[in-house]
Amino acid sequence: MMSEPAKIIWLASFPKSGNTWFRILLANLAAGEAGPSDINDLYEQGGSACNRWEFESLTMLDSALLSYDEIDCLRPLVYEAMTAEAVGQRWVKVHDAYTTTPSGEPLFGRGLSCAAVYVVRDPRDVAVSLAFHHSTTLDAAVRLVNSPDGVYCESRDGQDRQLRQRLAGWSGHVTSWLDQTEVPVHVVRYEDLLAAPARHFAAALKFAARPATEAEIERAVRFADFAELQRQENEKGFMERISRTTPFFRSGRAEGWREMLSAEQVAAIERCNGAVMARLGYGLETTCRRTA
Amino acid sequence: MYHYFISGLHVSSELELRGAIPREPRGETDDVSIRRGSVPLALDGATATGPTWDLAGDIFLLRVPRLIRFRIEAGRDIVFETEPGFADCDAAGFVLGTAFGILLHQRGSLVLHGSAVAKDGRSIAICGYSGAGKSTRAAALCGDGCSFVADDICVVGLDGRQRPMILPDGRHLKLWKESIDHLGLAERRGRAVRESFAKYYVDPPDPHAQPSPLSAVYVLREARPSLKEGVERLSLPDAMRTLDHEAYRPRFRAKLQPRPQTMAHVAAVLSRAKVFRLVRPRGFEHLQDTVAAVQAHWDSLG
Repeated sequence: MMSEPAKIIWLASFPKSGNTWFRILLANLAAGEAGPSDINDLYEQGGSACNRWEFESLTMLDSALLSYDEIDCLRPLVYEAMTAEAVGQRWVKVHDAYTTTPSGEPLFGRGLSCAAVYVVRDPRDVAVSLAFHHSTTLDAAVRLVNSPDGVYCESRDGQDRQLRQRLAGWSGHVTSWLDQTEVPVHVVRYEDLLAAPARHFAAALKFAARPATEAEIERAVRFADFAELQRQENEKGFMERISRTTPFFRSGRAEGWREMLSAEQVAAIERCNGAVMARLGYGLETTCRRTA
Repeated sequence: MYHYFISGLHVSSELELRGAIPREPRGETDDVSIRRGSVPLALDGATATGPTWDLAGDIFLLRVPRLIRFRIEAGRDIVFETEPGFADCDAAGFVLGTAFGILLHQRGSLVLHGSAVAKDGRSIAICGYSGAGKSTRAAALCGDGCSFVADDICVVGLDGRQRPMILPDGRHLKLWKESIDHLGLAERRGRAVRESFAKYYVDPPDPHAQPSPLSAVYVLREARPSLKEGVERLSLPDAMRTLDHEAYRPRFRAKLQPRPQTMAHVAAVLSRAKVFRLVRPRGFEHLQDTVAAVQAHWDSLG
């Protein structure tokens, strides 16, 4: 637990790792008795580090006139301004890996009142979830999980509403956040959050020095129950959903990959990410098979 | 010296402003002067600062690291200094964008982040965040009988009878390559907004030269499962809040213009113009459907 509450908590994760669910927990904690909070009001709760509107609003610049690298060079200054402006504690969604800018600065700045809660999920489940979310093939999703050069929201001929984000592949993403020393970080395994949400949510809040009673946490967990999220999405849709056919809150399970990925796809993920998976406590299927 | 007429202002510039439509000199002092000069790294006595800017009274300093700096004063003067290696031809976009937008705020103008088109002597503005598709829809409307009024920076003035008027911005459209391809505008494509960027100036086929009464503002959003396609009129409080939010660089306006002044201007606009939320389907394949929906809705306003 930190002595002084950080002004910004980077809620960081590789895409499709439980970031949205965590933000819904936070939204319900803030809503209190007035919950369940509307899943489409999430942006109001803290926003995203790659929001193009906020970048332009703080820098006054037209981001279409800047290269991706030039934008990255400005991002530490933008986060410095965000930190200075934050009223109370702001939890901000991040999918970027923790990288340095082309000019050598940490992307998330230096010496700011920031901390990070890092949500990590089994990369095999991440791949399945990515494929459904983006309506791509499983092979394409596996490639993004495995690619050290993987990016989000990079377009050559047009402009995405988000800024470009370097993902660095699943292993690169995890180690970039866990091994950096600039920002204190607390790791939450998605699978643990699923198994004992109140306990692991409470631990993250304690790390962030965000006060909450046990009863408040229990209520937030109840309001953010997966069935409630599915009910809301079914009733009124969800703004972060991209796929025309697959719901955002599709499964949420752990180890769903066993029914979806081929042995080759599992092997490909484990080959690229095995060491970091083991570090995070994810058992390797490929090794098991060999020894069986 | 180059001469332009931008958002109702006569402009003389040492820098050729690629993207602005040249005009003949008019033989008297212009409203705005753009010239090369020495620009400090920071302003002494700044009362407000941001990641890339300082504000001190009626002077605004804008820094684009490694590219260019601007000193913008009193709604009248823009002085720029380029960093070594940054080409003049790439500077124009920054001059016509942020620098001119700030200057317009300094003059107390109501500046929307939007594009505008006109037909039958009336105009509409299409606002929205960067990447919402404002310019593409404006270009598509121009291909469907409308004339082009403004792109990106849309100044709403009030005429002698307090009617809101959109001032022609005297610029070219700016479109990404994918929009140009889908709209079949390759023949009208000019230079890139920056060398090697895939966003280009596009010569509008029928630029509107006169201020044109504003009949409606459409706030463009992309459809999501939680946000259904269609046109919905905003209530007066929502319309006021939306016009405030859809300003060009609203944080700067908030620092520069007293809120009562802004709200009075917005109220004057809303006494004559209606504000709608326009939720468009995703994808270029639906572009003409959106154009038809806007045209039909606009016609229905009478």
